[in-house]
Amino acid sequence: MIFVTGPLFAGKREYIRRTLGLSQEEFTRKAVWDVQELAAEVPDLSILAEKLSQKEIVVATETGGGVVPVDPRERAAREAAGRLACLLARRADAVVRVYCGLPQVLKGELPC
Amino acid sequence: MFTLVIGGAASGKSEYAEARALSLPGKRVYLATMRPSDGECLARIEKHRLRRADRDFETVEQYIDLDSAPIPAGANILLECVGNLLANEVYEPNGGGSDAVLHGINTLLSWCRHLTVVTNEVCSGGADYDESTLFYLRELARVNRALAAQADSVVEVVCGLPHFWKGAP
Repeated sequence: MIFVTGPLFAGKREYIRRTLGLSQEEFTRKAVWDVQELAAEVPDLSILAEKLSQKEIVVATETGGGVVPVDPRERAAREAAGRLACLLARRADAVVRVYCGLPQVLKGELPC
Repeated sequence: MFTLVIGGAASGKSEYAEARALSLPGKRVYLATMRPSDGECLARIEKHRLRRADRDFETVEQYIDLDSAPIPAGANILLECVGNLLANEVYEPNGGGSDAVLHGINTLLSWCRHLTVVTNEVCSGGADYDESTLFYLRELARVNRALAAQADSVVEVVCGLPHFWKGAP
């Protein structure tokens, strides 16, 4: 599994789709994205991470920067999103961070 | 040569970009995009102006429509910053939105010798914003991605230190 992360609107999906030479349809089949939004809704993050890791590509937006939210639910959601990203990165064969559309491989190698 | 310098608030990106522009040949032009709308803006502009005082930059203020900026051909331009320029192009009545920002920068590229562009990292704090803020973030991110794709070098400045995402020091 390849885990792709980076700031909001950084071009994460477009980068990995193009790099792996996937059509939009292939990408939709092989990838799952915005997984940071799923983290808040589950009781066990490791089960979610395991399930997501069945996909070839998992994409998450970084949400841990900036001020800690005042709202307890938003705070918990952000915490869960960060923890999920760590679990996914641990399971991933390759981790790439995309910034302004440009890649930095943090773990492993991209198959291309 | 086209260098894109990006960083968060008070990351040292302006100082880095100025040093970069100073190391390059050509008539130096500081292209300022912040419209002085209140005391805080004026204080910030004054701070940057003082830092450039002995550095031989000609300052040109252009708040929208870079296409019409009076820039001599072959200049060594330091543009600061895309965040303000985009806000002006998006929110002012005569503004042309993000397309005008990209078009204007490409116009500069067509006649300058060197262009160093300072932009802002604003997308690292999650997505819990109202729709109008998200619109601005989306547009700034789009401009940043397009500029990063075109630039010879993309430098993120962290604590005053450069990290090259593209190109080399």
